[in-house]
Amino acid sequence: MIELRDLALDAPDGRPLLAGLDLTVPLGGNLLVTGPSGSGKTWLLKVIAGLECPAGDRVRVAGRDIWPGDGALGMAGRVSVGFAFATGGLLSNLSLAENVALPLRFLGVPAAESQVRVKSALVRLGLAAVASLRPHAVSAVARKHANLARVLALQPALVLLDDPLEGLDSADRAIAQELILAWSVDSACTLVIAAEEPASFSHLEAERLQLSGASISVESP
Amino acid sequence: MAFLARFGAPVRGFLEFLGDQAHLVLRTLRHALLLRLDQMAVVGGLTKLQIRFTGLDALWLIVGTALLLGAVTLIQAFSQLSGLGAENYIGVLMVLIILRELGPLLTAVLIIGRSSTAIAAELGSMQLNGEVDALAAHGINPYQYLLLPRWLGVLVSLFALVVCFDAAALAGGFLVAKLKYAVTFGFYMDSVRQTLSNRDFVATLLKVLLFSGAISFQACHFGLRIRRSQTEIPQAVTKTVVSALVAVFALDGLIAALFYF
Repeated sequence: MIELRDLALDAPDGRPLLAGLDLTVPLGGNLLVTGPSGSGKTWLLKVIAGLECPAGDRVRVAGRDIWPGDGALGMAGRVSVGFAFATGGLLSNLSLAENVALPLRFLGVPAAESQVRVKSALVRLGLAAVASLRPHAVSAVARKHANLARVLALQPALVLLDDPLEGLDSADRAIAQELILAWSVDSACTLVIAAEEPASFSHLEAERLQLSGASISVESP
Repeated sequence: MAFLARFGAPVRGFLEFLGDQAHLVLRTLRHALLLRLDQMAVVGGLTKLQIRFTGLDALWLIVGTALLLGAVTLIQAFSQLSGLGAENYIGVLMVLIILRELGPLLTAVLIIGRSSTAIAAELGSMQLNGEVDALAAHGINPYQYLLLPRWLGVLVSLFALVVCFDAAALAGGFLVAKLKYAVTFGFYMDSVRQTLSNRDFVATLLKVLLFSGAISFQACHFGLRIRRSQTEIPQAVTKTVVSALVAVFALDGLIAALFYF
């Protein structure tokens, strides 16, 4: 599903984050990217999603060249991707329900099916009561869960989660962890998680990529 | 060499800016052609919103400005040309000054002040909040979702507002002509109609098309270039206004030279 060849990443300020990364994650596989803050975890997720351009060389997702290539535009309508951002990422002029429904509407999912998927995703993440509110009117935890609900409703082939448990209390953490576990055992879904603390994901069977300054280590499950 | 470098850098920057703009326009048009029927409903809804903000909400500002401008134009003309049969030149004056030039130009300037600033600020804050990334990551093409509806909304609004501006300016001029020379409505409109030509309609349509592109794409360009902090938003808004004003005046001069020189 994901092929990284001789990948090099630079931070926005030009600082080199990593170089020479070769990695393949098969369809249904899981990858946990860990490392200290500023080590390039989020940047790597954005490069895989086609949102940021790497310093070199090649990224392929579902057999398509993303870099060099058109990035996310090259995947639109061809590869279904769900990205739960650590912060932000929700359209501020739409309610949580509309945020969850928007990708489905744009990708041509029939209205009736879209409604069912949105409702079930919002209920599963405990957002039914605040579904009609806009992101600024709900808590940071609800915004984080709305990001997950959008991914859940989309049922994507590639799930990218950026620090999905950060800032959650034990109850909210349990809801998110249950969802992540379901994605990790789904053979039709490739899961990539970036997290500062790998301990919360120790129960997942996933390849582990440790980023730490110039050094990279890859550990198989 | 240092002199050449100092001279070359802004030229290169300007050419890069033109290249970026052309890239933005061509990509938006290309992706517009790829829109599916169900996506058109989403884009149509956003276009309607843009028309409401740019067109409907600015209607009374445009009508009020045009009424005053039409009236003032004829007051000044009569004060200078009294005794020379000024009433015979009413149509020429209104067509030359208002319909050909000031109508499209002032409407574009007012839209730059109201809407291009809003578009640049909105896209800038969307960029900072990760909303543009979220759209692209989930298969929502930003050219189709962000740029196309804004351009279409500005295009439709500018066209409608120019028509309203011209109509209101003619009404303001008629009020003055009626009070000063007791000119009848039939005489006034005949005088305007005789001076107007098909060339004026074509020139106005071309202005609307080019001005709307210059206004919306420059706002999108500067708004989407914001990457790091909130302080970039006012800078982007200022650049949008200056750049769009220069583009609109340059295009206006070009069209005037092309059609009337």
